[in-house]
Amino acid sequence: MYRRLVGANMRGQMQYRVAFLLDLVGTGIGTAAAFGTLALILQRFENIAGWTLAEIALLYGLVETAFGLMDMIFSGFDPGTFGQQVRRGTFDQMLLRPLGLTLQVFGSDFALRRLARIFQGAAVLGYALIAAGIRWTLLKVLFIPVVLASLVCFFGALFIVGATITFWTVESIEVVNIFTYGGVEMMSYPMEVYHPWLRRFFTFIIPGIFVNYYPALYLLDRPDPLHMPAFAPLLAPVVGGGMLLAALAFWNFGIRYYQSTGT
Amino acid sequence: MQPAIISVNHLHKHFKIYKHHRGALGALCNLFTREATTVRAVDGVSFTIQPGELVGYIGPNGAGKSTTLKMLTGLLTPTGGEIEVNGRVPWKQRRAHVAHIGAVFGQRTTLWWDLPVIESLDLLQYIYKIPPAQFQHNLDEFRTMLELDPFLNTPVRSLSLGQRMRADLCAALLHDPPLLFLDEPTIGLDVVAKERIRQFILHINRARGVTVILTTHDLADVEKLCERVMIIDYGRVLFDGRLESLRDRFGGQRELVVDMAEEYATVDVDGATVAAREATRVTYQFERNALSASDLIGRVSARYRIRDLMVREPNIEDTVRRIYEERLLDEE
Amino acid sequence: MNPLKYSANRLQNQDLKLFWHLIQLGFQQQFSYRAANLAGLMTNFFFGLLRASVMIALYAARTDVAGMSLQDAVTFTAFSQAIIAYLSLFNWWRVMLAVYSGEIASELLKPTNYFTFWLAQDIGRAIAHFLTRGLTIMAAYALFFKITVPQTVGQWLALAVTLVLSLLVSFGWRFLINLTAFWTPDARGIGRIAFGLSWFLSGFMMPLRFFPDWFVRLCHLTPFPAMVNTLLEVYLGLLEGRALLGALAQQVLWVIALFALCQLVMRAGVRKLVIQGG
Repeated sequence: MYRRLVGANMRGQMQYRVAFLLDLVGTGIGTAAAFGTLALILQRFENIAGWTLAEIALLYGLVETAFGLMDMIFSGFDPGTFGQQVRRGTFDQMLLRPLGLTLQVFGSDFALRRLARIFQGAAVLGYALIAAGIRWTLLKVLFIPVVLASLVCFFGALFIVGATITFWTVESIEVVNIFTYGGVEMMSYPMEVYHPWLRRFFTFIIPGIFVNYYPALYLLDRPDPLHMPAFAPLLAPVVGGGMLLAALAFWNFGIRYYQSTGT
Repeated sequence: MQPAIISVNHLHKHFKIYKHHRGALGALCNLFTREATTVRAVDGVSFTIQPGELVGYIGPNGAGKSTTLKMLTGLLTPTGGEIEVNGRVPWKQRRAHVAHIGAVFGQRTTLWWDLPVIESLDLLQYIYKIPPAQFQHNLDEFRTMLELDPFLNTPVRSLSLGQRMRADLCAALLHDPPLLFLDEPTIGLDVVAKERIRQFILHINRARGVTVILTTHDLADVEKLCERVMIIDYGRVLFDGRLESLRDRFGGQRELVVDMAEEYATVDVDGATVAAREATRVTYQFERNALSASDLIGRVSARYRIRDLMVREPNIEDTVRRIYEERLLDEE
Repeated sequence: MNPLKYSANRLQNQDLKLFWHLIQLGFQQQFSYRAANLAGLMTNFFFGLLRASVMIALYAARTDVAGMSLQDAVTFTAFSQAIIAYLSLFNWWRVMLAVYSGEIASELLKPTNYFTFWLAQDIGRAIAHFLTRGLTIMAAYALFFKITVPQTVGQWLALAVTLVLSLLVSFGWRFLINLTAFWTPDARGIGRIAFGLSWFLSGFMMPLRFFPDWFVRLCHLTPFPAMVNTLLEVYLGLLEGRALLGALAQQVLWVIALFALCQLVMRAGVRKLVIQGG
């Protein structure tokens, strides 16, 4: 059923081909702006906190690819558009159909335009995997898809929480954006760059540090300047999966609240 | 008597409205203070509906109409009371419940915005798990009746409001629900489109035996479709009965319009007052309970020569307006 | 007094009054989006913190890069975050929306130049954003970092001039992008590309002087440095004497060029609208 819903949504999107191409170009320029700037600047500065361009590209590529994937798969939960759906009553229409709600929200949008971001992220990631001087082992090869999946779950959880909050209030969406888009920006750089309390926030409250930074340390065989236990990189799937499950529980709670109050 | 298809017992829905402080500082206050006032949107509603009925559910804005409808369709959980629809409790068995009802909510569409109508309908076949033969049979019938063919391949976003309503009606009925909820089915439509929708609603009620509950602001809908009317205001059912009995009790004065053969100096008759007089045309008003129309005609024709006459019933719109405005039902 | 000349004067007065009125309108409108502005403020500030952190890490042990101290560089991140709203660097779709909704038809009927009509409102909007988003972000930054502030009267004067010129360049360019809506239903996609380009080439993300020379020369072929980089360098006091005057003159030239282009393109667009009936 999910495939049918998504298929319907994609057929709808096919009518906006030019928009799709423009998005591809637009995202390309966005990536060029962010990563290109960094590349050009590092010609002068050489490294950031001891990380070379290729090593930062690993952080950046993982986060961008995963966020793009998440944005495509979870686009039904995008807090901005989901909030509109609740206000316009589209969400009520989902309640009127004999299908699970989570499935329907997943099926309500599958933003193909995000492919652009995924391609760009993957290109940067590809560059990093080649140029960062990773000493490859089988475990590391297997670990990369796990890290990506964990990141997708991590950001997906943030989206679901953001969407759920819109049952209560519309105004807080932008605050959620700080965590999602701000999280992407922050996780594109090595964590030792940031002030300790900012780091603590992303360790203990929104534990993004475990889904990107620690896996990257492991892949690059870099020592941990923050002195976390040695198993920290392995926490990625635990954190990603755990956050997603917690977010889904909150989501179900939100639906029950919505059904008792409406809009 | 068959078992009721809908039974509602002491239904309550209360909302808490929190007082909002304005501004940035106010937003902070909102986090800590919770001054709530309770609004009783539905306040003790009870009724039953038999299979095959066509019921109009009317009332002014904010009366509790759509709140009731939302609870009947399973969108909202009641604060108290019981609902049983098709033998199920809507909010407890949402999926099973909605699989056996059809619902069209006014200006919102169930169809996929960017897809051609036919693709949305196809998708519904899978969502409701409709056997192909039944799907085809229903689709063929509704296509003809609702004249969907001209825009079956048009994306929903480019349809006119009337076309979209027709497509939505079709979508709501493909899975043969025994029960159809319509929220403002004719809102925003022109006269011709309204009439077409009404004809269709009548047809599925008569020919297919679908029980229909509709809310509307257009009392012509009620007049042309519904035998039974429920009036709701302040969250309570004020009237529940046949349209005629509503008229009998609250219809007020009827009118007799007479074209006289010649112009008389006085045209008075016992038991009626002259409401208007224009050349040979005289309009009498009389109480329905005090005097029958034939008696009045007898009295008039005994005194004057009549060329033509007509009895005019007060229309439902005036009646209901009087009920709202004068709160005629408040005492009950 | 020559009656003709007199009426011309009066007309100008009325135009000015209208212009002033529209500025006020644009200013007031911003205050109905209080929640959005607050959220925007927090987002701008948070991203600013991240950017400052990266900047500090980049400098590491360096004291001076291309004439900028670390304090200057941190101030750069503060100031560039502070002018996002003022210059509307991320989006501005007002004219595009008017074209798509058809409102443009009634707006064009107003007895004022359509470009001026929006320019006035944008100035009002910018003043509001300068106060609510610009000054507040700089003040918030000052709590966390040591911030560079212009020292001399001359610097403040130059800053005032370049603030206005930057807004005009930015407006001309944004208006131009919006005008594509006359020809295509995908103006928003084109706009996103255009906005993305401006972040890259304007010196918004990093001071242009950090980049290799060939790239800086490329940037100066576009109006983007006149939008952001000049403003930032003037604020930081990096330009003096001839260099300062040259930079301001460049801004003036870009204002003239963009405004003229806007008028031309707008006329073509309106002609298309009139002929095809939208």
